Amino acid sequence: MRAERAPRWSWALYALLILVSLPFLLPLLWLLLSAFKTSAAIFSSPFDLDPARLSAANFRQVFAEYPFARQYFNSVYIAALVVPLTMGLSALAGYAFARLRFPGRDAVFILTLVAMMVPSELTAVPQFVVFSRLGLTNSHLPVIVTQIFSATGALAVFLMRQHFITLPPELDDAGRVDGLGTLGVFRHIMLPLSRPALATVAIFAVLNSWNDYFNPLIYLSREGLLTLPLALQRFTDPLGGVYWNLTLAGGVLVALPVLLTFLLAQRQFIESLAASGTKG
Amino acid sequence: MMGAARPGRPALRRAQREALMGVLFAAPFALGMLLVVVLPLLGVIGISLTQWSLLDAPRWVGLHNYARLAADPAFLRSAGVTAAFTAGILVLNISVALALATLLNAKLRGIGVFRTIIFSPVVMPVVAWALVWKFLLQPDGTVNAGLSRLGAGDANLLFTPGTALWTVVVIEVIKAVGLNAVIFLSALQGVPPELHEAARLDGASPWQVFRHITLPLISPTFFLVFIVTLIGALKLFTPVYVLTGGGPADATTTLIVYMFKQGFQFFEFGYASAVATVLFVIVLALTVAQWSLRRRLVFYES
Repeated sequence: MRAERAPRWSWALYALLILVSLPFLLPLLWLLLSAFKTSAAIFSSPFDLDPARLSAANFRQVFAEYPFARQYFNSVYIAALVVPLTMGLSALAGYAFARLRFPGRDAVFILTLVAMMVPSELTAVPQFVVFSRLGLTNSHLPVIVTQIFSATGALAVFLMRQHFITLPPELDDAGRVDGLGTLGVFRHIMLPLSRPALATVAIFAVLNSWNDYFNPLIYLSREGLLTLPLALQRFTDPLGGVYWNLTLAGGVLVALPVLLTFLLAQRQFIESLAASGTKG
Repeated sequence: MMGAARPGRPALRRAQREALMGVLFAAPFALGMLLVVVLPLLGVIGISLTQWSLLDAPRWVGLHNYARLAADPAFLRSAGVTAAFTAGILVLNISVALALATLLNAKLRGIGVFRTIIFSPVVMPVVAWALVWKFLLQPDGTVNAGLSRLGAGDANLLFTPGTALWTVVVIEVIKAVGLNAVIFLSALQGVPPELHEAARLDGASPWQVFRHITLPLISPTFFLVFIVTLIGALKLFTPVYVLTGGGPADATTTLIVYMFKQGFQFFEFGYASAVATVLFVIVLALTVAQWSLRRRLVFYES
C-alpha cells in the first residue's frame, strides 16, 4: 500500500527529509569547516567555503602548543582498558544472572538494576572522599574504575543477561554431554553466540568512556592527565577568553574516531541498538 | 553446607557446583559494583546527616541539611528547573522521535542516508557538540545574528535567563533524539502491515490507525523509551555544565549542577549529599513506579 503511494509523494517526502536533516547535519558540517579557519573568519564568514582560505594551522597549533597528544593518549588508553574489561565482566555476570542458580542472585541483580538507573553523579561525593583518602586524585584509576562498575557497567550486565536468556537451554546441555564444564560451555558455546550483544556493550562502553566528563572534572586537574572532554575546554587565553579556532579543531579531532567508526559500522550499530531497545 | 554434600547425590552436587560457578562468575562485577555504587549510595545518606568540608572532621547535624534544603530558595529553584527541564526534554524528545521514526519508516531509495544523518549527533562527543552550539549561540554568533536579521531584535538565546533553559533543551534533543527515533523505527517495523490495511478498509483515518493500532503495538517500546529518557534527563550534567555552567542567573542550574556546585565548588559535602539523596529517592521512586505500572500501561500482543 505504502509502496504504491510512494512514487506520487516521494518528492515531497524527500523535501521534508532534507529539511528535517538540516539541524542534525549542519552543526557537524559547520564544525568540520570552521576547524580549518582563523578565529576571525569563523565569526565573520561562517559559511565561507573557499578552499584558499582554509588551512590546517589550527591542528598543528593544537599539538604544538598544548599537551593535546598526551591527552589524546590518555583518552585512548583509558577506553582501551575500560571497554574489554566491561565486556568481559558483563558477559560473566550476565551469564551467571541468566543461566546459573546461586544464592543471592536475585538480590544482586536488583542492585544491578538500581546501579543502572541511579545517575553515577549521585555517588560522586563518597567516591571522591574514598579516592582522595587513598591519595588517588590526579590519577586515572578513579576514572577507570567508576566507568567499569557504575551505570555503564550495570547496563552492560543487564544487556548481556537479556541476551543469554534468549539462548535456548539445550545449548548448555549439549555442551555438557560433550564433557564441558560451566566455564567451557561459557567460553566455547555461549561467547561465540554473543558477538552482537557484546558489540552493543562495546559501543556503549566506548561512547561513555570517550565522553566521560564528570569524573575527570572531579579527579583530574593536572594538564597532562586530562582526558579529551576536559582538554577541549582548555584552549583559552590568560584572561579566560576561548580560542574558538583551536577548540573547534580539537573538537574535530575528538569526534573523528567516533564518527569514522560509526560510518563504517553504521548498519550493525543502529540495528543492535534498535534490537536492545525493543527487547528491553 | 557445601562440604556436607553426600556422595551418591549427583543432582545435589551439580546444583552446588552451579552455585559456586554462579558466584564466581558474578563476583568480579558484583564486588566492584558494591564498592563503587552500593556503599557510596549508603555513604551519601550518611554524609547528608553531617556538615563536612572534607578538611575537618565531619560534624553530625542530623536532619539539619534537609531542613535547610526545604528553606533554600536556590535548591527549590533548581528542583523547579529540573522539573521543567525534564518535562521539556521528555515531551520534545519523544514526540519528535515518533515523528522522525514515522518519516524514516518511508520506503524510499536512500532512506538509510537520512537515518544515518539523524542518528549521527548521538555518537558525537557530548562536549564537542555542546561547544559547537556554545559558539553558534555566542551573543554575536551565527544563530543570534541570523535571528536579528529575521527581525527578532537583539536575541541572545543562551545568555538570557528566560530562554537559556529551553535553548539547552532543544540542543539536547537534537543531540539525543536519533537514538529514540531508531528504537521507535525498529518497533514500527515490527507492526504487521496487514493490521493497518484492515483498519484502512474499515474506514479508519490515519490518526485513528496510529492511535488504536500502532500505538498499542509499540507501547512496550514507548514505555521503555519514556523511562530511559526521563531518567536520562534527570541526570543530565555535561551539556548543561559546558553550555551555561548553570547560568545565567542560575536559570539552568539543575539538581545535579546544584549538587556539584555545593560539593565540589563550595566544599559543602554534607549539603551536597542531601541534594543527592533527594535525587536518589526521586529516581528510585520512578524506577519502582515503572515496575509496578508496566503491566497496566503496556499492551502486549500475546
